[in-house]
Amino acid sequence: MITCDEFFAEFGDCLENQVSPEIRQELELHLSQCRACQVLCDSSRKTVKIVTESSSFELPQSVSDPIIERVMARLRTDRS
Amino acid sequence: MSFLREVQLEKEFGPSVVFREALGFLPNLIRAQSLLPRVIEAQAKLEDAVRLRAGALSRAQKERILLTIAADRRDTYCVGMHSRVLSSLGATPVQIDDLLNEYRGAELSAPDLATLQFCLKLSRNAPAVQWEDIEALRVSGLKDQAIFEIVVVTALAIYLCTLSAGLRPELDFQARELPWPRAASPARTSRASSSADIHRGSEWKGPYLPAPYLSPHTFAPFAILQGTHGFMPNFFRSQTLRPDLLKAELEAVNSILFPEDALSRVQKECILLAVSATNLNSYCVAVHCNLLRGLGISPEEGDQIAVDHHESALSNADKALLDFAVKLGAHLTDFSNEDVVGLRALGFTEEQILECVVVTALNNFANTLQMGLGIEPDFGPPAVYQQNKVHLSGGALTPMQREGVVHLVDTLRDADAELVAQAQGGKLEAFEDLVRRHTQLVYRTLLAILGNPADAQDAMQDTLLSAFKHISGFQGRAKFSTWLVSIARNTALQRLRSRKNVESLDEGKYEEDEDFRPRQVRAWQDNPEQCFSKSEMRQLVETGILALPPKFRVVVMLRDIELLSADEVARQLGLSVPAVKTRLFRGRLMLREWLSPHFTTSTKGATQ
Repeated sequence: MITCDEFFAEFGDCLENQVSPEIRQELELHLSQCRACQVLCDSSRKTVKIVTESSSFELPQSVSDPIIERVMARLRTDRS
Repeated sequence: MSFLREVQLEKEFGPSVVFREALGFLPNLIRAQSLLPRVIEAQAKLEDAVRLRAGALSRAQKERILLTIAADRRDTYCVGMHSRVLSSLGATPVQIDDLLNEYRGAELSAPDLATLQFCLKLSRNAPAVQWEDIEALRVSGLKDQAIFEIVVVTALAIYLCTLSAGLRPELDFQARELPWPRAASPARTSRASSSADIHRGSEWKGPYLPAPYLSPHTFAPFAILQGTHGFMPNFFRSQTLRPDLLKAELEAVNSILFPEDALSRVQKECILLAVSATNLNSYCVAVHCNLLRGLGISPEEGDQIAVDHHESALSNADKALLDFAVKLGAHLTDFSNEDVVGLRALGFTEEQILECVVVTALNNFANTLQMGLGIEPDFGPPAVYQQNKVHLSGGALTPMQREGVVHLVDTLRDADAELVAQAQGGKLEAFEDLVRRHTQLVYRTLLAILGNPADAQDAMQDTLLSAFKHISGFQGRAKFSTWLVSIARNTALQRLRSRKNVESLDEGKYEEDEDFRPRQVRAWQDNPEQCFSKSEMRQLVETGILALPPKFRVVVMLRDIELLSADEVARQLGLSVPAVKTRLFRGRLMLREWLSPHFTTSTKGATQ
């Protein structure tokens, strides 16, 4: 069975769903027997899910509109 | 009576009302599915969006496609149904006869003739459809949205014909005799025997149509997809020319595939996999192999089902279920009541047989869409795979070929190209449209580098002015959005340089050596998102991300908030893909450390 270090080395790709089936099998085998890596895997997946679903850093239209309008006004003035 | 038992549908059942109002009658094809009202609801949503709702094609144009394909597939039931609808839309009996006999003799405009020629090719031999076929439609004068609708209506025609073959509903109207033989009968496909059959090789040039960017933050179905799949399948990403249609399609797919009141998820995925393999659809084979893996089926077993399910470890009953689906999905005309009787004898319920027919029809819908739109694979083939195995089909191209194609495709499909040309010609309105399309991307890039919303808003103005100043120099070698991000990046970096102790975003010599090890080892709660309100959660994530060192922050924001692919992040930041992956992984782990105290099992609901 692979070690925790070997698991960790592949884990980044695993989070991106980019490991080959063979490696995935190894990772799953390790996970089935290592509580610490189970916690790492579970909480990392939840982190990615929380972040992707958080709708963070939306610039509200009420803020973006005046910026765009200022830029467009400036471009129109420059042209004339 | 159709092949399966029916029950009386309530008069006020929503979908029945929709069909009666739109078509003037309730098709027996709908009654034949009365045992599972949810699949009727799914079909009604799909038909409403694809067939009934106003779009680039007229109702009559869509019905002509449906009728021509039904006639080509010698589907008497569908021919009767579509003839009646076409006639109610004003077509004369002579015009309908012309379509049934030989569409090329019908009095149709050049774009309409080109449309039917294309639809028949897609219906008869989808793997043969190429970029050139789409170009031919463009040359005939059709716009991209119309072409998109042509592909989707063809897919719907095949969905309806598959249902009709599998359920054999009573005719709604006395059908007229179909002429025989037709000019050409539908091509028969057989299970892939080599990679050459299933791959379209290096000449493949999809996706064929532009797909405007839709943010998961404004288009809710994408946020849900991202959650359920963990990534955004190109299959859905490629259909953004009609967001309303895409939304209806996703709802239909969910209500057919997710409930387990008849067949299980695994059985349904096996059907999708086996029929897609028979239809030589490498994209769908890869997707369903992957989904089956997520459902606990080993990769080898998934591959075996794709190559030949008889040799798999499935039960005999499930193998028979796949025989049934493959026969229905690929050899419509050979299908008969005997096949239904066979499944009943093995203990399958009426509902399960009905669902198998519906899932097979849905599969044919998806296979047709994928081939017609030239949707590119989601996954490259892992290096360990040999090129001559069918399951590798996810990567129809080797990684190196694929990289080249992706670059080519990115530039070919840039949905901004037209506006860019106008803006380069000095049209300010076009530039404003471009800016509005990419406001969030620009803002997030600036914020990611500067780490402060006020600075980012400030830098936005400089970025946009600089973009307009330099737009004449943009040569279209990359996507416009990539170019715009590079301007934002430079603007932000210039500002950073004026600060002290700036950390470089460039790739360092010791990129791989910067070790970061997780320290939090306590388990998280099952549903951490339920601990806080949505706005509290957003606040938490934003604070955590802004606390990351800039080089991790920028990658996490573009990948996990803006949902760009790793390749795209690499291109936009001018980094190598491995560097992006390393930074992404570390950034995610740092965020995990930050979030952990809020979500571990002993801190339920606690805020700091």
